[in-house]
Amino acid sequence: MWAKVALIVLCAVMIASAAYFDPARTRSLLVSRAQEGPHLRLMTWNIGYAELEDDSRAHTKDMQAIAETILTNDPDAVALQELTGAEQLKILLGQLHGRYRGAAAAPGNSDRVDAVLVKNREAGFDQLPADGKYAIAARFRLLPQLPEIILISAHADAFSAARRRAYTGDVVDWARHRSTGSIVILGGDFNFELNPRNQSHLYTDNIKNDSEAYSYALKYFRDLGRDAGQTAANDRRIDYLFGPREKVTLRRAEVLRNAGVGRMDHWPLLVEVAL
Amino acid sequence: MITQFKLEVLKLIRSRSFFLSFLALTSFVVLMLWGFYTYAERKAGEQATAQFKYTYESKSYFNGLTFALYSVMFSFSLLIPIFVAMTSGAQIAGERQAGTLRMICVRPVSRVSLLLSKFLVIAGYTYLLVAFFIGLNLLVGLFFVGWGDLQLYPGALNLVDEPGKLMRDEALWRFAYASLSGTWALLVIAALAMLFSVVFDNPSMATTATLALYLVFHIVGRVEFFEHLRPYFFTTDMDFWRDVFKPEIPWQSLGRYGSICGAYVFGLLLLAVAIFDRKDLTT
Repeated sequence: MWAKVALIVLCAVMIASAAYFDPARTRSLLVSRAQEGPHLRLMTWNIGYAELEDDSRAHTKDMQAIAETILTNDPDAVALQELTGAEQLKILLGQLHGRYRGAAAAPGNSDRVDAVLVKNREAGFDQLPADGKYAIAARFRLLPQLPEIILISAHADAFSAARRRAYTGDVVDWARHRSTGSIVILGGDFNFELNPRNQSHLYTDNIKNDSEAYSYALKYFRDLGRDAGQTAANDRRIDYLFGPREKVTLRRAEVLRNAGVGRMDHWPLLVEVAL
Repeated sequence: MITQFKLEVLKLIRSRSFFLSFLALTSFVVLMLWGFYTYAERKAGEQATAQFKYTYESKSYFNGLTFALYSVMFSFSLLIPIFVAMTSGAQIAGERQAGTLRMICVRPVSRVSLLLSKFLVIAGYTYLLVAFFIGLNLLVGLFFVGWGDLQLYPGALNLVDEPGKLMRDEALWRFAYASLSGTWALLVIAALAMLFSVVFDNPSMATTATLALYLVFHIVGRVEFFEHLRPYFFTTDMDFWRDVFKPEIPWQSLGRYGSICGAYVFGLLLLAVAIFDRKDLTT
């Protein structure tokens, strides 16, 4: 009898301790001491549709809702992906009531383009060639006495991990060479699939390719949205904002999960850092 | 109960399956060494064109600790559970098949003591198996591959979210922790096999039922369709043992899933005891 009672007690103790330990209890982003200095708010958002749609690029009818999300959250700069082209960007800038300036990347070998929006009126833009297509970078300053900020909007291939690795390598190399006197933030949809459980092709080098690409980005940058959770449908975290390791202090990282419009399969990732 | 425990230890040591399991694990290590050695030569040798030069194909990545980690990870899901299920499944059903169970039960030893002493022996055997396997891998790694620090990258093995490193001495401690956490996780299979051993008359049936249940949950848990069911599989909770290899051990998570595994172990044992205590032994 005593053995049965002991087993019941042990089982109850285990259930109680399982309830006591909370695996979600992690370090808060806000534990570090508040840093003096202006805050920089950045957003990255793939505004394209899920691949089942006829046209998986951004839809012009959504531009007003996208503009509302941007205006509500008031980021200093935004990295957008999967626009149809410069014309669509022009419509979005119109919906933003002239509060942002923007530029779209050259199409390259893709039917969709990346774009950047910046509040600063004196911002400059650079085309960034990477693996046969283009990313786009915006250069601006929050205040004249502060270092220059460069935000890159990038979109890596959704279907080939090897191409993602090559593309990420090019973008990271471009970014790291400009990080000496500037604060470089690399944003976009990189499509890294790092969880083997989400892989449908088990006998490929996909995981190694994505791991290599992600590790290479982390060699020079910090993953600012790491604790913000999934950014796309099916519990995937494939949209990133990589920032400098030491020049900024992370204040907030949030995925705006109510911001999706139509059949979009991504949510915007909003990050706020103190300079 | 102590006498019963000693008798059970003697019985286990004298069984052929005891040595077979250690022999099979040794063969697996040899196979892993051959595979690892040739892969490392091909990927990091002078003729190689490094495709993953920052991560997996750098020379510093291939060392004895990496070898041991891969070997332990691969064998833990599919190889070691077979031996644990086989040995545990034979405990009661094996006695029944051999015709010795009734004889044991007519002695002045309670059925509960009999079952619990058998389970304690299985727990010791499981620890011995895991510790032997980890120790052998580390020794083989040291002598044939050479030591260095343990480098971890996101993606492969699904251990870390960002690149990390465990210094050699720390990594060795983590392997020691893994022998404990791994044993604790495997006890779920041992308890399940013990329950089936009580329920079924044939040890093969008990082992097969245990492995079938384990493999079904293990495989189904990896299929995307059943993603929402994953948290309810005991195989998902058993995965906690790997967390000791993370650069910063997530103690909260380890405590939670370790406790869930404990609840499975004691719950299944309780059920096994309750059934065995009331079972009419006719063979």
